[in-house]
Amino acid sequence: MAAKKEIIELFASIRGQNRRELLEFEAKKVLSAWGVKTTRIELARDTNEAVKLAREIKYPVVLKIASPDIIHKSDARGVKVGLSSEIEVKQAFEEIVANVRAYKPDANILGVAVQEFIPPAREVIVGTLRDPSFGPVVMFGLGGIWVEVLKDVSFRLAPITKEDALEMVQEIRGYPVLAGTRGAPPADFEALADLLQRVGELAVEFPEISEIDLNPVFVFDEGKGVVAADARIILGEG
Amino acid sequence: MLRFFRRKPAPKPKRRRVVKKPRKPKATPRRRGPPSRGEAIGAFFEPRAVLVVGASGIRAEPTQEFFRPTVENMLRFYRGKTHVVDLSGRLEGASRDLRKVRGKAELAILTLPQGPALKNVKRLVDARVRAVIAAPRYEQGVREELEAAVKRGVRVLGPNAAMGTLNTRNGLCASFERGLMPKQGGIAIISQSNSVGAAILDSACFRGIGVSKFVSTGDAVDVNEAELIDYLSRDVNTRVICVGIREVREGRGFVEAVRRAAEKKPVVVLKGGVVGEQDKIYDAAIKQALAIRVRDVEELLGVAEALAKQPLMLGDRVAIISNASGPAILVADAIHREGLILAKLSEKTAKAMAHKYPGISVVNPLELGVGAEAKCYGFTLEQVLADPGVDGVVVITALKSRPLEPDDARVVAEVAKKFKKPVVGVAMGGEDHILVHDALKDMSVPVYDLAEKAVCALKALRRYGQIRWRVGG
Repeated sequence: MAAKKEIIELFASIRGQNRRELLEFEAKKVLSAWGVKTTRIELARDTNEAVKLAREIKYPVVLKIASPDIIHKSDARGVKVGLSSEIEVKQAFEEIVANVRAYKPDANILGVAVQEFIPPAREVIVGTLRDPSFGPVVMFGLGGIWVEVLKDVSFRLAPITKEDALEMVQEIRGYPVLAGTRGAPPADFEALADLLQRVGELAVEFPEISEIDLNPVFVFDEGKGVVAADARIILGEG
Repeated sequence: MLRFFRRKPAPKPKRRRVVKKPRKPKATPRRRGPPSRGEAIGAFFEPRAVLVVGASGIRAEPTQEFFRPTVENMLRFYRGKTHVVDLSGRLEGASRDLRKVRGKAELAILTLPQGPALKNVKRLVDARVRAVIAAPRYEQGVREELEAAVKRGVRVLGPNAAMGTLNTRNGLCASFERGLMPKQGGIAIISQSNSVGAAILDSACFRGIGVSKFVSTGDAVDVNEAELIDYLSRDVNTRVICVGIREVREGRGFVEAVRRAAEKKPVVVLKGGVVGEQDKIYDAAIKQALAIRVRDVEELLGVAEALAKQPLMLGDRVAIISNASGPAILVADAIHREGLILAKLSEKTAKAMAHKYPGISVVNPLELGVGAEAKCYGFTLEQVLADPGVDGVVVITALKSRPLEPDDARVVAEVAKKFKKPVVGVAMGGEDHILVHDALKDMSVPVYDLAEKAVCALKALRRYGQIRWRVGG
């Protein structure tokens, strides 16, 4: 239960800062503690730290602004991808901070997060919400237009069994994309089901979580796993 | 012109009443301590005697009269004792004073308006009733009185539960809608909404669908759907539980109760009023509760009738038997839409058919030809049900320009009951449908007027087959 303690402490510190939304690197810390695989991400407070972290994480890396006041990082030009050298990382760090300052002069900037770069795979969305009648609910959908335009999502009340998880994956209309069409191999359903179960358990275990949003989650081919590339966790009021 | 929209008075012998000698319901043994909360639910359906309390001089709600019609229903259908208390003192044979009926009834139907109800809820408790149906909507004040009564050990249904409770076995008809007494059968209905409940009962009466018990829950200050589902899951006369809900009050408790019940008998849920994401969450909750979701009253009864009368379907393969090709195609389409499959008939079936009816080509749908009579239907159905490649059968009986008589369709039910596979009937059209439907209504095969409805019923039997398999029963 070390994970639980770690998460409780983190939530307390977020609340202590009068915040309800976790920053990406914080959300990923919670998820990793809970056994959900995420892209590696660490906070750098200055360029030297960024370079050090980039070396540890291994090039190429992605840099993202870490500020509770910036919700849409790309809109603030706070994201730089495909950085493969020390000079590029330093430059990107400075540029991101300057861009965000210009975008929102009073933004509280904690630093810049350095994240491992993952070659894209099939994208899905996994999340939880709290329904007024039923409590924690797990959501699943395919990334991009599948969710945004076609509302092609499935739900289950948490916690869910492995059977429930597989059913919710098969239920969406876009399922053939994951099953593999035109010679493409099937996605790693085992890993995906495990992710859905874990996210559901997280929402049940911590009633203060009002929303989890993993978007996108990269689903690799069978046997190669899944990884949450971006993550948001929002705590409930009070 | 307006008068054309006025309700016609109901023709007198409109509904079939089970004609049986009045029989007193068994007295519940007296006990020392108060009954447990679960047991007390029984008093809503099998009370020792019933008390109807109202005031004939004043309506409980400006547009609605509850008292007189409820008294009429009870006197007309109930085979136990009905005591009537009329605070206005006008109804013949009624008492004027609640104190005079002390200890005489277990169930009270409260139809008083807000004002007099304020004083009399307490008197009901003093009169030692165990259960109260609060028919009108009631505002604060009476609601608090009802809650106080609950604290003193009385169970309360409603308020806003004017459709009350109904039990076809003892004729209990604690409802204000006149004459809604369906025949005895295996379907129990729980309805939050009075008018949806009335529509379901009306439809069951009209179509001759058998009901075990009915209950409307209204605003549920005490007795809720989950508790009633638990009770009905233990009721030996109930084979299927139907639940019509407007809002789920305590979501998890509801899901748990449905799930517990669904492990014993099928549960069908009608839930409206939700769209988009919310609707999908309800879909998920109902699925996880192992229940079957329907979208309207007709589908509810169609599905429930099949679940009450027919065995479960243990595979996806459906055979169609018909004396008309067009309807068979429509049924085949519906089978694909519902995710079922057309069965492939075995060599053995083909041989048996070729031997007896060489003119019929043995492919699915099996077309018997326009001249097919009862004998041919019976023989074919027998072969098809014995075929191990068939899990369920749709039998279409077209009457127009054919020698087939409505009563010939009875052979379908006679053969079907020899096998443990589901059979549903389709008789399309208007009058023709009614003719076949009536010929079969007291038998075990349900008959539908559309391909879609018949296949939907079969799909529900398949779904419940999967549910039972999943829970290992």
